[in-house]
Amino acid sequence: MRKEVKQAIGGLIMVSPSFVLLLVIVVIPIVQSFVTSLSNGEGGYDLSRYQFLFTDKGMRANIFFTLKVTVVSCALVLLVSYSLALYMRFSSGKLVDWIRKTYMIPLFIPGVIATYGLMNLLGNHGWLARLLLPLGIALPRLIFDEKGIVIANIWFNIPFATMLLSSALTGIPASIIESARDTGAGKLRIFLRFIFPLSYKTFLVALTFVFMGVIGSFTAPFLLGPNAPQMLGVSMQQVFGVFQEREQAAAMAFFTFLLCSVLGYFYIRSMAGEEVANR
Amino acid sequence: MVRLKKSLTALSALTLTVAALSACGGKNDANANSAASDSSSNSPSSSASSSPSAPSSSAEPVQFSFYFTGSQNVKDLWDTLIPMFEKQNDKVKVKEVYIPSGAGAEPTYDRILAAKKAGKGSGDIDLYEDGINVVSQGTKDDVWAPLDTSGIPNLANIDPKTMADVSNMAVPYRSSAVVLAYDSSKVSAPPKTLSELLDWIKQNPGKFAYNDPSTGGSGSSFVTTVLYDGLPEDDIHDSDPAVMAKWDAGFSKLKDLNKFVYGKGIYPKKNQGTLDLLANGEVEIIPAWSDMVLQQLGEKLLPDTVKMQQITPGFNGGPTYLMVNKLSDKQDAVNQFLDFVLSPEAQEVIVTKMNGFPGIELSNMSQAMQDKFKGVSEGFRTFNIGDLGTEINKRWQSDVAAQ
Repeated sequence: MRKEVKQAIGGLIMVSPSFVLLLVIVVIPIVQSFVTSLSNGEGGYDLSRYQFLFTDKGMRANIFFTLKVTVVSCALVLLVSYSLALYMRFSSGKLVDWIRKTYMIPLFIPGVIATYGLMNLLGNHGWLARLLLPLGIALPRLIFDEKGIVIANIWFNIPFATMLLSSALTGIPASIIESARDTGAGKLRIFLRFIFPLSYKTFLVALTFVFMGVIGSFTAPFLLGPNAPQMLGVSMQQVFGVFQEREQAAAMAFFTFLLCSVLGYFYIRSMAGEEVANR
Repeated sequence: MVRLKKSLTALSALTLTVAALSACGGKNDANANSAASDSSSNSPSSSASSSPSAPSSSAEPVQFSFYFTGSQNVKDLWDTLIPMFEKQNDKVKVKEVYIPSGAGAEPTYDRILAAKKAGKGSGDIDLYEDGINVVSQGTKDDVWAPLDTSGIPNLANIDPKTMADVSNMAVPYRSSAVVLAYDSSKVSAPPKTLSELLDWIKQNPGKFAYNDPSTGGSGSSFVTTVLYDGLPEDDIHDSDPAVMAKWDAGFSKLKDLNKFVYGKGIYPKKNQGTLDLLANGEVEIIPAWSDMVLQQLGEKLLPDTVKMQQITPGFNGGPTYLMVNKLSDKQDAVNQFLDFVLSPEAQEVIVTKMNGFPGIELSNMSQAMQDKFKGVSEGFRTFNIGDLGTEINKRWQSDVAAQ
């Protein structure tokens, strides 16, 4: 047997456990929920559940609301995380040490507890309102509003995104930046030409993770969000658990999966490109 | 080749691990199965038992599993009642399985149904506690055993009308009432009728809140009370979809209220959501479960100035039900337990522990208990509208929340 064939067989054997795992816990459930979502409850199969998703006023509002919250959260999280990571990479001093030591803390606080804390902090009669009262500042409504969900998403996602991005930035050799500086490149130019392209892949990974995390989030939107429109996760729970319409919930789940797979496509394409380049 | 060897080693290690794990699992399963069949064959009355090989000795008590969910006070209640029962009946043991509220009680019902569909019998869930919607769901799916007085003599203590509401498929063993909880330091004359309450809400914008009806009974009770206001009394025991046409007036009232409730249309999640708003002074009146209010007053979670008021027509309360799994092979033991739960003695514990209403008719209780409920139980109404509750939630979501 030729060496390549042996290696190929070995490789196939090595990937088979993860492939089987993926098949059982991801692929089959998705196919199943797709089949469930096509059933119209009267024995037949059609697209009526999806039609409802886009024609019902409340449902459409939920989809737009979810996308809006997700896009706004992703933009804010990546802006803050990238700035933090850049700051930690290229500055030094007490403040940087302090940030480096503390920015991971939110990862260790369970979601429900953090959400409850945010409710107490940002509520109409919460801590923040009480602290700002003597200064004559009245808070806008944060809790039971989309702002509350966005704030919670920022809190939950910044640590992980910052961790990913700062490891990517640490990987950029100082020599590249120094040589660029020697040839007279300005700060903005260095950032746009060297730093961002070199950390772009990780940026995409961070974006994917934040996007998926936010679009499927439940706890914070359930406790902090408005009654209508709802995030898809909350609405899905309501349709599945309260209204007991499994087929409709399956259609929503599959639609959410499609939304995520758009981003997944860019992610996989970029990763595949890297594999080819490494060969 | 070296690489291949390495991968083979890794693979065999993995296989070993998997094998070891599955062996463990298998062993546990086997143990559980044999334990289950042992205890069932030990039951003196289990003629249906399918393992004749196991010798039956009547000395061993029968153990059945009792799944229930709820807040901590429900757990405390069963922690008191079950030892009382076991002391009286040394032949029966109750295995408590407590699922904290919100920690996935739905899967318990799904497990019962899945076990039935897979032909696996009771799924080791013999007795289950839940609300009316699960009772009617299970009646539809044919998973509950019908109950009668030959198995449970004390069933006669319950109002026959309540039993008829659930077609004898469940035991309404206790009830709670929804009341108005208000801050007496801000509201001196709380509303006494529903129309007074609606007027009060409009005159005091932002000072009333009720929770999203799909997330908790107190908000749901407010919504149904408004919907069925002025409708014939029979309608609250009718699960015929034809009644839905009569809701329009009620829903338009609720839609109007939207701009007068807390935050111009904010409906907090869960019963606790509105209680939190009352506790920090953001609102002045809320509908709430009487037992939750009493408990939180006791724990100083609510200010002392919070008081309760029942209105007429009364908010609908709801019984909590116990259902017997039809496929359970320990029904006699379960019946003995249910008979105990419905005894005046056990009911008295329920009333004092839960600050609720007894499941049995008051005339069967001691004189002291009858005196305690004088005047209170009149405003108490039990609704039974079956699946229509789900329809209400659906329509509330689209008409009121997303208007």
